[in-house]
Amino acid sequence: MTKNIIEVHNLVKKFGTFTAVNDITFDVKEGEILGFLGPNGAGKTTTIQMLLGLLTPTSGSILYFGRDLMSYREEIMETINFSSTYTNLPWYLSVKENLTYLSYLYNIKDRKKRISELVEIFKLDPILKKSIGQLSAGQMTRVNIAKAFLNSPKILLLDEPTASLDPDVATYIREFIQSERERFNISILFTSHNMSEVEELCERIIFINNGEIIANDKPENLAKSIEFSHVELLLEKDLKKLEEFCNKQHLTFRIFGKKQIRIDVREKNIAEFLRNLTEQKIIYDEISIDKPSLEDYFLQMSQKKI
Amino acid sequence: MKLHRIYAIILRNLYSFKHSYDKMSDAFYWPLLDLLLWGLTSSYINQSSGGQTNILLLVISGIVFWLIFWRAQYEICMGLLDELWNKNMINLFITPLKFWEWVTAWLFMGVAKGAMSFLFASGVAILLYQTNVFTYGFTLIPYMLLLLLSGWWVGFLITSILMRFGSKVQTLAWSMPWVFAPFSAIYYPVSSLPQWAQNVAHFLPTSYVFEGMREVLKTGHFNTQNFLFALLLNCIYLALALITIRFSFARVLKNGITKLY
Repeated sequence: MTKNIIEVHNLVKKFGTFTAVNDITFDVKEGEILGFLGPNGAGKTTTIQMLLGLLTPTSGSILYFGRDLMSYREEIMETINFSSTYTNLPWYLSVKENLTYLSYLYNIKDRKKRISELVEIFKLDPILKKSIGQLSAGQMTRVNIAKAFLNSPKILLLDEPTASLDPDVATYIREFIQSERERFNISILFTSHNMSEVEELCERIIFINNGEIIANDKPENLAKSIEFSHVELLLEKDLKKLEEFCNKQHLTFRIFGKKQIRIDVREKNIAEFLRNLTEQKIIYDEISIDKPSLEDYFLQMSQKKI
Repeated sequence: MKLHRIYAIILRNLYSFKHSYDKMSDAFYWPLLDLLLWGLTSSYINQSSGGQTNILLLVISGIVFWLIFWRAQYEICMGLLDELWNKNMINLFITPLKFWEWVTAWLFMGVAKGAMSFLFASGVAILLYQTNVFTYGFTLIPYMLLLLLSGWWVGFLITSILMRFGSKVQTLAWSMPWVFAPFSAIYYPVSSLPQWAQNVAHFLPTSYVFEGMREVLKTGHFNTQNFLFALLLNCIYLALALITIRFSFARVLKNGITKLY
Protein backbone atom coordinates (compact mmCIF):
# COMPACT_ATOMS: atom_id res chain seq x y z
CA MET A 1 0.00 0.00 0.00
CA THR A 2 1.29 3.48 -0.86
CA LYS A 3 2.03 5.47 2.23
CA ASN A 4 0.81 8.97 2.97
CA ILE A 5 3.53 11.61 2.71
CA ILE A 6 1.34 14.54 3.69
CA GLU A 7 -1.63 14.17 6.03
CA VAL A 8 -3.90 17.09 6.75
CA HIS A 9 -6.44 16.63 9.53
CA ASN A 10 -9.38 18.94 10.21
CA LEU A 11 -7.48 22.03 9.14
CA VAL A 12 -9.19 25.33 9.94
CA LYS A 13 -8.03 28.88 9.35
CA LYS A 14 -10.05 31.83 10.51
CA PHE A 15 -9.25 35.51 10.01
CA GLY A 16 -11.45 37.19 12.60
CA THR A 17 -14.98 36.05 11.80
CA PHE A 18 -14.11 34.96 8.26
CA THR A 19 -13.36 31.27 7.81
CA ALA A 20 -10.91 30.89 4.92
CA VAL A 21 -10.39 27.14 5.36
CA ASN A 22 -13.09 25.12 7.02
CA ASP A 23 -12.20 21.74 8.50
CA ILE A 24 -10.46 20.13 5.55
CA THR A 25 -8.88 16.68 5.68
CA PHE A 26 -6.84 15.11 2.90
CA ASP A 27 -3.61 13.32 2.15
CA VAL A 28 -0.95 13.18 -0.52
CA LYS A 29 0.53 9.76 -1.25
CA GLU A 30 4.12 8.87 -2.03
CA GLY A 31 4.91 9.56 -5.69
CA GLU A 32 1.48 11.03 -6.34
CA ILE A 33 0.74 14.23 -8.24
CA LEU A 34 -2.31 15.72 -6.57
CA GLY A 35 -4.17 18.54 -8.28
CA PHE A 36 -5.40 21.17 -5.88
CA LEU A 37 -8.06 23.19 -7.64
CA GLY A 38 -10.59 25.81 -6.88
CA PRO A 39 -11.72 29.25 -8.00
CA ASN A 40 -10.01 32.42 -6.80
CA GLY A 41 -10.65 32.98 -3.10
CA ALA A 42 -11.58 29.35 -2.51
CA GLY A 43 -8.91 28.81 0.15
CA LYS A 44 -6.16 27.20 -1.98
CA THR A 45 -3.45 29.74 -1.22
CA THR A 46 -4.33 29.80 2.47
CA THR A 47 -4.06 26.01 2.59
CA ILE A 48 -0.74 26.02 0.72
CA GLN A 49 0.65 28.67 3.05
CA MET A 50 -0.30 26.54 6.04
CA LEU A 51 1.30 23.49 4.39
CA LEU A 52 4.49 25.53 3.98
CA GLY A 53 4.47 26.76 7.57
CA LEU A 54 3.99 30.38 6.45
CA LEU A 55 0.64 30.67 8.19
CA THR A 56 -0.39 29.25 11.56
CA PRO A 57 -3.59 27.20 11.39
CA THR A 58 -6.40 28.10 13.78
CA SER A 59 -6.84 24.38 14.46
CA GLY A 60 -6.06 21.02 12.92
CA SER A 61 -2.79 19.34 12.11
CA ILE A 62 -0.39 18.91 9.20
CA LEU A 63 1.86 15.87 9.15
CA TYR A 64 4.75 15.20 6.79
CA PHE A 65 6.09 11.63 6.87
CA GLY A 66 3.90 11.17 9.95
CA ARG A 67 5.62 14.05 11.80
CA ASP A 68 3.94 17.24 12.89
CA LEU A 69 5.00 20.30 10.87
CA MET A 70 5.08 22.60 13.90
CA SER A 71 7.33 20.30 15.93
CA TYR A 72 9.67 19.11 13.15
CA ARG A 73 9.68 22.15 10.87
CA GLU A 74 13.45 22.24 10.32
CA GLU A 75 13.76 18.58 9.25
CA ILE A 76 10.60 18.69 7.16
CA MET A 77 11.56 21.87 5.30
CA GLU A 78 14.83 20.26 4.19
CA THR A 79 12.77 17.83 2.10
CA ILE A 80 10.20 20.26 0.67
CA ASN A 81 10.28 22.97 -1.90
CA PHE A 82 7.81 25.32 -3.49
CA SER A 83 7.50 27.22 -6.71
CA SER A 84 4.97 29.82 -7.63
CA THR A 85 4.74 32.23 -10.50
CA TYR A 86 3.62 34.76 -7.95
CA THR A 87 6.66 34.78 -5.68
CA ASN A 88 9.79 36.76 -6.40
CA LEU A 89 13.45 36.24 -5.85
CA PRO A 90 15.63 39.19 -4.74
CA TRP A 91 15.55 41.65 -7.61
CA TYR A 92 19.17 42.84 -7.64
CA LEU A 93 20.75 39.43 -7.25
CA SER A 94 21.81 37.44 -10.29
CA VAL A 95 20.32 34.02 -11.02
CA LYS A 96 23.58 32.39 -9.92
CA GLU A 97 23.74 34.40 -6.69
CA ASN A 98 20.17 33.43 -5.84
CA LEU A 99 20.83 29.75 -6.41
CA THR A 100 24.11 30.00 -4.46
CA TYR A 101 22.77 31.55 -1.27
CA LEU A 102 19.74 29.24 -1.33
CA SER A 103 22.04 26.24 -1.70
CA TYR A 104 23.68 27.28 1.59
CA LEU A 105 20.27 27.53 3.25
CA TYR A 106 19.60 23.91 2.26
CA ASN A 107 23.17 22.89 3.09
CA ILE A 108 23.64 21.17 -0.27
CA LYS A 109 26.90 19.27 -0.13
CA ASP A 110 28.16 19.65 -3.70
CA ARG A 111 26.71 23.06 -4.42
CA LYS A 112 28.52 23.80 -7.68
CA LYS A 113 27.61 20.43 -9.17
CA ARG A 114 23.92 20.74 -8.23
CA ILE A 115 23.66 24.28 -9.58
CA SER A 116 25.39 23.20 -12.82
CA GLU A 117 22.90 20.34 -13.20
CA LEU A 118 19.94 22.68 -12.81
CA VAL A 119 21.50 25.26 -15.14
CA GLU A 120 21.75 22.56 -17.80
CA ILE A 121 18.26 21.12 -17.24
CA PHE A 122 16.49 24.47 -17.25
CA LYS A 123 18.78 26.04 -19.88
CA LEU A 124 19.78 28.88 -17.57
CA ASP A 125 23.30 29.38 -18.87
CA PRO A 126 22.57 32.49 -20.98
CA ILE A 127 20.82 34.22 -18.06
CA LEU A 128 22.98 32.98 -15.19
CA LYS A 129 24.71 36.32 -14.64
CA LYS A 130 21.62 38.43 -15.27
CA SER A 131 19.83 39.95 -12.30
CA ILE A 132 16.30 38.73 -11.59
CA GLY A 133 14.98 42.17 -12.50
CA GLN A 134 16.30 41.78 -16.05
CA LEU A 135 14.50 38.50 -16.75
CA SER A 136 11.36 38.00 -18.79
CA ALA A 137 8.34 36.41 -17.08
CA GLY A 138 9.10 33.09 -18.75
CA GLN A 139 12.76 33.14 -17.72
CA MET A 140 11.75 34.01 -14.16
CA THR A 141 9.40 31.03 -14.05
CA ARG A 142 12.19 28.74 -15.22
CA VAL A 143 14.48 30.08 -12.49
CA ASN A 144 11.71 29.59 -9.92
CA ILE A 145 11.24 25.97 -10.94
CA ALA A 146 15.01 25.38 -10.93
CA LYS A 147 15.06 26.80 -7.40
CA ALA A 148 12.28 24.40 -6.41
CA PHE A 149 14.44 21.42 -7.44
CA LEU A 150 17.62 22.78 -5.80
CA ASN A 151 17.42 20.62 -2.67
CA SER A 152 16.23 17.50 -4.57
CA PRO A 153 12.95 17.63 -2.64
CA LYS A 154 10.78 14.67 -1.69
CA ILE A 155 7.72 16.88 -1.74
CA LEU A 156 7.00 19.72 -4.13
CA LEU A 157 4.26 22.28 -3.93
CA LEU A 158 3.81 23.89 -7.31
CA ASP A 159 1.49 26.86 -7.64
CA GLU A 160 0.80 27.45 -11.33
CA PRO A 161 4.37 26.53 -12.24
CA THR A 162 3.96 26.86 -15.99
CA ALA A 163 1.96 30.09 -16.10
CA SER A 164 3.58 32.67 -18.41
CA LEU A 165 5.72 30.05 -20.14
CA ASP A 166 5.74 29.52 -23.91
CA PRO A 167 3.87 26.30 -24.81
CA ASP A 168 7.03 24.43 -25.82
CA VAL A 169 8.82 25.39 -22.58
CA ALA A 170 5.69 24.53 -20.55
CA THR A 171 5.63 21.09 -22.16
CA TYR A 172 9.33 20.65 -21.44
CA ILE A 173 8.79 21.61 -17.79
CA ARG A 174 5.80 19.26 -17.45
CA GLU A 175 7.84 16.42 -18.89
CA PHE A 176 10.66 17.23 -16.51
CA ILE A 177 8.30 17.24 -13.51
CA GLN A 178 6.91 13.87 -14.64
CA SER A 179 10.35 12.35 -15.12
CA GLU A 180 11.65 13.62 -11.76
CA ARG A 181 8.54 12.24 -10.08
CA GLU A 182 9.18 8.84 -11.67
CA ARG A 183 12.93 8.86 -10.93
CA PHE A 184 12.74 9.97 -7.31
CA ASN A 185 9.15 9.12 -6.37
CA ILE A 186 8.46 12.75 -5.48
CA SER A 187 5.01 13.68 -4.18
CA ILE A 188 3.64 16.80 -5.80
CA LEU A 189 0.78 19.10 -4.88
CA PHE A 190 -0.07 20.99 -8.01
CA THR A 191 -2.32 23.96 -8.70
CA SER A 192 -3.06 25.35 -12.13
CA HIS A 193 -5.78 27.10 -14.05
CA ASN A 194 -4.80 25.12 -17.14
CA MET A 195 -7.18 22.15 -16.88
CA SER A 196 -5.65 20.17 -19.71
CA GLU A 197 -2.33 20.41 -17.87
CA VAL A 198 -3.98 19.18 -14.67
CA GLU A 199 -5.64 16.30 -16.53
CA GLU A 200 -2.31 15.37 -18.06
CA LEU A 201 -0.30 15.46 -14.85
CA CYS A 202 -2.53 14.67 -11.91
CA GLU A 203 -3.74 11.25 -10.78
CA ARG A 204 -6.15 12.74 -8.30
CA ILE A 205 -7.79 16.08 -7.77
CA ILE A 206 -9.04 17.88 -4.72
CA PHE A 207 -11.52 20.61 -5.50
CA ILE A 208 -11.93 23.27 -2.87
CA ASN A 209 -14.54 26.01 -2.74
CA ASN A 210 -15.55 28.38 0.05
CA GLY A 211 -12.83 26.82 2.19
CA GLU A 212 -14.28 23.30 1.97
CA ILE A 213 -13.32 20.26 -0.03
CA ILE A 214 -16.19 19.49 -2.36
CA ALA A 215 -14.53 16.76 -4.41
CA ASN A 216 -11.63 14.37 -4.07
CA ASP A 217 -11.42 12.04 -7.05
CA LYS A 218 -9.67 11.11 -10.30
CA PRO A 219 -9.89 13.79 -13.04
CA GLU A 220 -11.89 11.49 -15.34
CA ASN A 221 -14.46 10.77 -12.62
CA LEU A 222 -14.90 14.48 -11.91
CA ALA A 223 -15.45 15.18 -15.60
CA LYS A 224 -17.95 12.30 -15.77
CA SER A 225 -19.97 13.85 -12.98
CA ILE A 226 -20.97 16.60 -15.41
CA GLU A 227 -24.11 15.42 -17.21
CA PHE A 228 -23.97 17.78 -20.15
CA SER A 229 -22.00 17.34 -23.36
CA HIS A 230 -21.25 20.19 -25.72
CA VAL A 231 -22.88 19.89 -29.13
CA GLU A 232 -21.23 22.34 -31.45
CA LEU A 233 -22.90 23.15 -34.76
CA LEU A 234 -21.91 25.21 -37.77
CA LEU A 235 -24.90 26.52 -39.70
CA GLU A 236 -25.03 28.57 -42.88
CA LYS A 237 -28.54 30.02 -42.41
CA ASP A 238 -30.63 28.41 -39.64
CA LEU A 239 -28.90 29.90 -36.63
CA LYS A 240 -31.86 32.09 -35.65
CA LYS A 241 -34.25 29.14 -35.95
CA LEU A 242 -32.00 26.99 -33.80
CA GLU A 243 -31.69 29.74 -31.20
CA GLU A 244 -35.50 29.86 -30.91
CA PHE A 245 -35.67 26.09 -30.69
CA CYS A 246 -33.13 26.02 -27.87
CA ASN A 247 -35.00 28.71 -25.98
CA LYS A 248 -38.22 26.69 -26.26
CA GLN A 249 -36.46 23.56 -25.05
CA HIS A 250 -34.76 25.48 -22.20
CA LEU A 251 -31.32 24.46 -23.42
CA THR A 252 -28.25 26.44 -22.49
CA PHE A 253 -26.32 27.65 -25.50
CA ARG A 254 -23.66 30.09 -26.58
CA ILE A 255 -23.25 31.66 -30.00
CA PHE A 256 -19.83 32.25 -31.58
CA GLY A 257 -19.83 34.68 -34.51
CA LYS A 258 -22.61 34.44 -37.08
CA LYS A 259 -22.59 30.74 -37.82
CA GLN A 260 -21.49 28.76 -34.79
CA ILE A 261 -23.39 27.66 -31.71
CA ARG A 262 -22.52 25.46 -28.72
CA ILE A 263 -25.42 23.81 -26.91
CA ASP A 264 -25.26 21.92 -23.62
CA VAL A 265 -27.20 18.69 -23.99
CA ARG A 266 -27.51 15.76 -21.60
CA GLU A 267 -25.47 12.87 -23.00
CA LYS A 268 -28.49 10.52 -23.01
CA ASN A 269 -30.60 13.13 -24.88
CA ILE A 270 -28.17 13.81 -27.71
CA ALA A 271 -29.83 11.37 -30.16
CA GLU A 272 -33.27 12.82 -29.45
CA PHE A 273 -31.92 16.37 -29.80
CA LEU A 274 -30.46 15.63 -33.23
CA ARG A 275 -33.71 13.93 -34.33
CA ASN A 276 -35.62 17.06 -33.26
CA LEU A 277 -33.32 19.23 -35.35
CA THR A 278 -34.13 17.11 -38.39
CA GLU A 279 -37.86 17.31 -37.65
CA GLN A 280 -37.57 21.11 -37.32
CA LYS A 281 -35.74 21.14 -40.65
CA ILE A 282 -32.75 22.86 -39.08
CA ILE A 283 -29.86 22.13 -41.37
CA TYR A 284 -26.31 22.22 -40.08
CA ASP A 285 -23.10 21.95 -42.04
CA GLU A 286 -20.75 20.63 -39.38
CA ILE A 287 -21.23 19.00 -36.00
CA SER A 288 -18.89 18.05 -33.15
CA ILE A 289 -19.81 16.52 -29.82
CA ASP A 290 -17.44 17.07 -26.91
CA LYS A 291 -17.68 14.98 -23.79
CA PRO A 292 -17.60 16.98 -20.54
CA SER A 293 -14.05 17.83 -19.48
CA LEU A 294 -12.37 18.78 -16.22
CA GLU A 295 -12.71 22.37 -17.35
CA ASP A 296 -16.50 21.95 -17.44
CA TYR A 297 -16.38 20.52 -13.97
CA PHE A 298 -14.24 23.44 -12.81
CA LEU A 299 -16.58 26.01 -14.36
CA GLN A 300 -19.69 24.38 -12.95
CA MET A 301 -18.27 24.05 -9.45
CA SER A 302 -16.85 27.55 -9.50
CA GLN A 303 -20.21 28.98 -10.53
CA LYS A 304 -21.80 27.38 -7.48
CA LYS A 305 -19.92 29.92 -5.40
CA ILE A 306 -21.47 32.81 -7.33
CA MET B 1 21.17 27.30 15.11
CA LYS B 2 23.07 26.24 12.00
CA LEU B 3 26.02 28.31 10.81
CA HIS B 4 25.48 27.49 7.15
CA ARG B 5 22.04 29.08 7.24
CA ILE B 6 23.29 32.20 9.02
CA TYR B 7 26.06 32.37 6.42
CA ALA B 8 23.46 32.02 3.63
CA ILE B 9 21.59 35.11 4.85
CA ILE B 10 24.84 37.05 5.26
CA LEU B 11 25.81 36.04 1.72
CA ARG B 12 22.42 37.13 0.42
CA ASN B 13 22.90 40.53 2.09
CA LEU B 14 26.44 40.90 0.77
CA TYR B 15 25.28 40.16 -2.78
CA SER B 16 22.57 42.76 -2.32
CA PHE B 17 25.11 45.28 -0.96
CA LYS B 18 27.37 44.67 -3.95
CA HIS B 19 24.59 45.52 -6.41
CA SER B 20 22.82 48.34 -4.59
CA TYR B 21 24.02 51.92 -4.94
CA ASP B 22 21.58 52.87 -2.17
CA LYS B 23 23.32 50.59 0.27
CA MET B 24 26.74 51.77 -0.85
CA SER B 25 25.72 55.38 -0.28
CA ASP B 26 24.37 54.49 3.18
CA ALA B 27 27.77 53.08 4.05
CA PHE B 28 30.04 55.72 2.54
CA TYR B 29 28.30 58.70 0.97
CA TRP B 30 26.15 59.90 3.89
CA PRO B 31 28.89 59.52 6.53
CA LEU B 32 31.19 61.47 4.24
CA LEU B 33 28.63 64.26 3.84
CA ASP B 34 28.05 64.38 7.61
CA LEU B 35 31.75 64.66 8.21
CA LEU B 36 32.16 67.40 5.64
CA LEU B 37 29.24 69.50 6.85
CA TRP B 38 29.67 69.18 10.61
CA GLY B 39 33.41 68.83 10.49
CA LEU B 40 33.83 72.12 8.62
CA THR B 41 31.24 73.82 10.84
CA SER B 42 32.95 72.73 14.05
CA SER B 43 36.32 73.57 12.54
CA TYR B 44 35.08 77.15 12.15
CA ILE B 45 33.64 77.22 15.70
CA ASN B 46 36.91 75.83 17.00
CA GLN B 47 38.86 78.65 15.37
CA SER B 48 36.37 81.28 16.55
CA SER B 49 36.56 80.11 20.16
CA GLY B 50 40.32 80.29 20.09
CA GLY B 51 40.65 76.51 20.22
CA GLN B 52 40.14 76.32 23.98
CA THR B 53 38.07 73.18 23.79
CA ASN B 54 38.57 70.63 21.10
CA ILE B 55 35.12 71.05 19.57
CA LEU B 56 36.26 69.46 16.35
CA LEU B 57 37.24 66.21 18.07
CA LEU B 58 33.99 66.20 20.08
CA VAL B 59 31.81 66.66 17.02
CA ILE B 60 33.78 64.27 14.80
CA SER B 61 33.70 61.64 17.57
CA GLY B 62 29.95 62.15 17.89
CA ILE B 63 29.42 61.62 14.17
CA VAL B 64 31.70 58.60 13.93
CA PHE B 65 30.38 56.86 17.06
CA TRP B 66 26.76 57.59 16.23
CA LEU B 67 27.39 55.64 13.02
CA ILE B 68 27.87 52.45 15.06
CA PHE B 69 24.48 52.87 16.73
CA TRP B 70 22.79 53.89 13.50
CA ARG B 71 24.23 51.06 11.38
CA ALA B 72 23.39 48.42 13.98
CA GLN B 73 19.72 49.40 14.10
CA TYR B 74 19.52 50.10 10.38
CA GLU B 75 20.85 46.69 9.35
CA ILE B 76 18.22 44.99 11.49
CA CYS B 77 15.42 47.03 9.90
CA MET B 78 16.87 46.54 6.43
CA GLY B 79 17.07 42.78 7.04
CA LEU B 80 13.28 42.76 7.06
CA LEU B 81 12.59 45.63 4.65
CA ASP B 82 14.82 44.23 1.93
CA GLU B 83 12.88 40.96 2.00
CA LEU B 84 9.57 42.85 1.95
CA TRP B 85 10.61 45.00 -1.01
CA ASN B 86 11.77 41.91 -2.87
CA LYS B 87 8.76 39.84 -1.76
CA ASN B 88 11.30 37.22 -0.76
CA MET B 89 9.94 36.25 2.67
CA ILE B 90 8.23 33.15 1.27
CA ASN B 91 11.42 31.90 -0.36
CA LEU B 92 13.27 32.27 2.94
CA PHE B 93 10.73 30.70 5.24
CA ILE B 94 9.96 27.64 3.13
CA THR B 95 13.55 26.64 3.77
CA PRO B 96 14.73 25.20 7.12
CA LEU B 97 15.80 28.74 8.14
CA LYS B 98 14.86 29.54 11.74
CA PHE B 99 13.74 32.95 12.91
CA TRP B 100 16.71 33.37 15.27
CA GLU B 101 19.17 32.38 12.55
CA TRP B 102 17.73 35.13 10.40
CA VAL B 103 18.05 37.60 13.28
CA THR B 104 21.62 36.50 14.04
CA ALA B 105 22.58 37.24 10.44
CA TRP B 106 21.18 40.78 10.82
CA LEU B 107 23.25 41.26 13.96
CA PHE B 108 26.37 40.15 12.17
CA MET B 109 25.62 42.51 9.28
CA GLY B 110 25.16 45.33 11.78
CA VAL B 111 28.57 44.68 13.35
CA ALA B 112 30.32 44.25 10.00
CA LYS B 113 28.83 47.27 8.28
CA GLY B 114 29.08 49.37 11.47
CA ALA B 115 32.79 48.55 11.65
CA MET B 116 33.19 49.35 7.96
CA SER B 117 31.47 52.72 8.23
CA PHE B 118 33.34 53.51 11.48
CA LEU B 119 36.72 52.76 9.93
CA PHE B 120 35.86 54.70 6.79
CA ALA B 121 34.65 57.74 8.74
CA SER B 122 37.63 57.60 11.11
CA GLY B 123 39.98 57.50 8.14
CA VAL B 124 38.22 60.46 6.52
CA ALA B 125 38.41 62.41 9.81
CA ILE B 126 42.17 61.87 9.98
CA LEU B 127 42.59 62.76 6.33
CA LEU B 128 40.44 65.91 6.29
CA TYR B 129 40.79 67.29 9.80
CA GLN B 130 43.84 65.52 11.26
CA THR B 131 41.45 64.40 14.00
CA ASN B 132 41.99 60.92 15.37
CA VAL B 133 39.05 59.28 17.19
CA PHE B 134 41.41 56.53 18.31
CA THR B 135 42.63 59.09 20.86
CA TYR B 136 40.14 57.42 23.20
CA GLY B 137 42.37 54.33 23.30
CA PHE B 138 40.95 51.13 24.73
CA THR B 139 37.89 52.93 26.13
CA LEU B 140 36.65 52.84 22.55
CA ILE B 141 35.81 49.16 22.92
CA PRO B 142 33.29 49.34 25.82
CA TYR B 143 31.64 52.40 24.29
CA MET B 144 31.37 50.69 20.92
CA LEU B 145 29.81 47.66 22.63
CA LEU B 146 27.22 49.88 24.33
CA LEU B 147 26.33 51.63 21.08
CA LEU B 148 26.05 48.31 19.30
CA LEU B 149 23.68 46.94 21.96
CA SER B 150 21.58 50.12 21.82
CA GLY B 151 21.43 49.89 18.03
CA TRP B 152 20.25 46.30 18.30
CA TRP B 153 17.36 46.91 20.68
CA VAL B 154 16.21 50.02 18.82
CA GLY B 155 16.44 48.02 15.58
CA PHE B 156 14.37 45.18 17.05
CA LEU B 157 11.72 47.60 18.28
CA ILE B 158 11.42 49.32 14.90
CA THR B 159 11.36 45.94 13.14
CA SER B 160 8.57 44.78 15.45
CA ILE B 161 6.54 47.81 14.34
CA LEU B 162 7.38 47.03 10.71
CA MET B 163 6.18 43.47 11.26
CA ARG B 164 2.93 44.80 12.62
CA PHE B 165 2.23 47.43 9.94
CA GLY B 166 4.36 46.29 6.98
CA SER B 167 6.38 48.43 4.61
CA LYS B 168 3.89 51.31 4.75
CA VAL B 169 5.68 52.49 7.91
CA GLN B 170 9.16 51.87 6.50
CA THR B 171 10.20 55.47 7.03
CA LEU B 172 10.61 54.59 10.73
CA ALA B 173 13.77 52.69 9.80
CA TRP B 174 15.46 55.98 8.84
CA SER B 175 13.69 58.45 11.07
CA MET B 176 13.16 56.76 14.43
CA PRO B 177 16.83 56.53 15.49
CA TRP B 178 16.97 60.33 15.26
CA VAL B 179 14.30 60.53 17.97
CA PHE B 180 17.00 59.20 20.30
CA ALA B 181 19.69 61.59 19.04
CA PRO B 182 18.75 64.80 20.93
CA PHE B 183 18.48 62.90 24.23
CA SER B 184 21.70 61.01 23.65
CA ALA B 185 23.68 64.24 24.07
CA ILE B 186 25.96 63.43 21.17
CA TYR B 187 27.48 66.90 20.83
CA TYR B 188 26.61 68.57 24.16
CA PRO B 189 26.51 67.55 27.85
CA VAL B 190 23.32 66.12 29.36
CA SER B 191 23.40 68.95 31.95
CA SER B 192 22.79 71.47 29.15
CA LEU B 193 19.41 69.88 28.37
CA PRO B 194 16.16 71.11 29.98
CA GLN B 195 15.14 69.06 32.99
CA TRP B 196 12.47 67.00 31.22
CA ALA B 197 14.95 66.11 28.48
CA GLN B 198 17.56 65.20 31.11
CA ASN B 199 15.02 62.82 32.64
CA VAL B 200 14.63 61.11 29.28
CA ALA B 201 18.40 61.05 28.73
CA HIS B 202 18.95 59.21 32.04
CA PHE B 203 16.99 56.25 30.66
CA LEU B 204 18.97 56.11 27.42
CA PRO B 205 22.20 54.10 27.45
CA THR B 206 23.52 56.15 24.51
CA SER B 207 23.64 59.31 26.65
CA TYR B 208 26.10 57.60 29.03
CA VAL B 209 28.35 56.72 26.09
CA PHE B 210 28.71 60.27 24.80
CA GLU B 211 28.98 61.71 28.32
CA GLY B 212 31.63 59.12 29.12
CA MET B 213 33.57 59.91 25.97
CA ARG B 214 33.68 63.59 26.80
CA GLU B 215 34.87 62.69 30.32
CA VAL B 216 37.66 60.55 28.89
CA LEU B 217 38.69 63.38 26.61
CA LYS B 218 38.65 65.93 29.41
CA THR B 219 40.02 64.01 32.37
CA GLY B 220 41.32 60.75 30.93
CA HIS B 221 39.05 58.92 33.38
CA PHE B 222 36.79 56.06 32.32
CA ASN B 223 33.57 56.10 34.38
CA THR B 224 33.01 52.42 35.17
CA GLN B 225 29.85 53.02 37.20
CA ASN B 226 28.12 54.80 34.34
CA PHE B 227 29.33 52.16 31.92
CA LEU B 228 27.83 49.36 34.02
CA PHE B 229 24.55 51.22 34.44
CA ALA B 230 24.32 51.79 30.66
CA LEU B 231 25.13 48.11 30.11
CA LEU B 232 22.36 47.10 32.51
CA LEU B 233 19.85 49.38 30.74
CA ASN B 234 20.89 47.96 27.38
CA CYS B 235 20.49 44.37 28.60
CA ILE B 236 16.99 45.08 29.95
CA TYR B 237 15.88 46.88 26.78
CA LEU B 238 17.43 44.24 24.55
CA ALA B 239 15.65 41.43 26.41
CA LEU B 240 12.32 43.28 26.10
CA ALA B 241 12.95 44.03 22.42
CA LEU B 242 13.75 40.37 21.71
CA ILE B 243 10.53 39.25 23.38
CA THR B 244 8.60 41.88 21.39
CA ILE B 245 10.07 40.87 18.05
CA ARG B 246 9.41 37.17 18.72
CA PHE B 247 5.77 37.93 19.45
CA SER B 248 5.57 40.14 16.39
CA PHE B 249 6.86 37.34 14.19
CA ALA B 250 4.35 34.90 15.70
CA ARG B 251 1.68 37.43 14.80
CA VAL B 252 3.03 37.62 11.24
CA LEU B 253 2.65 33.84 10.98
CA LYS B 254 -0.86 34.09 12.37
CA ASN B 255 -1.91 36.65 9.75
CA GLY B 256 0.23 35.28 6.93
CA ILE B 257 3.63 36.43 5.74
CA THR B 258 2.23 37.74 2.46
CA LYS B 259 0.03 40.22 4.35
CA LEU B 260 3.23 42.16 5.14
CA TYR B 261 3.85 43.11 1.49
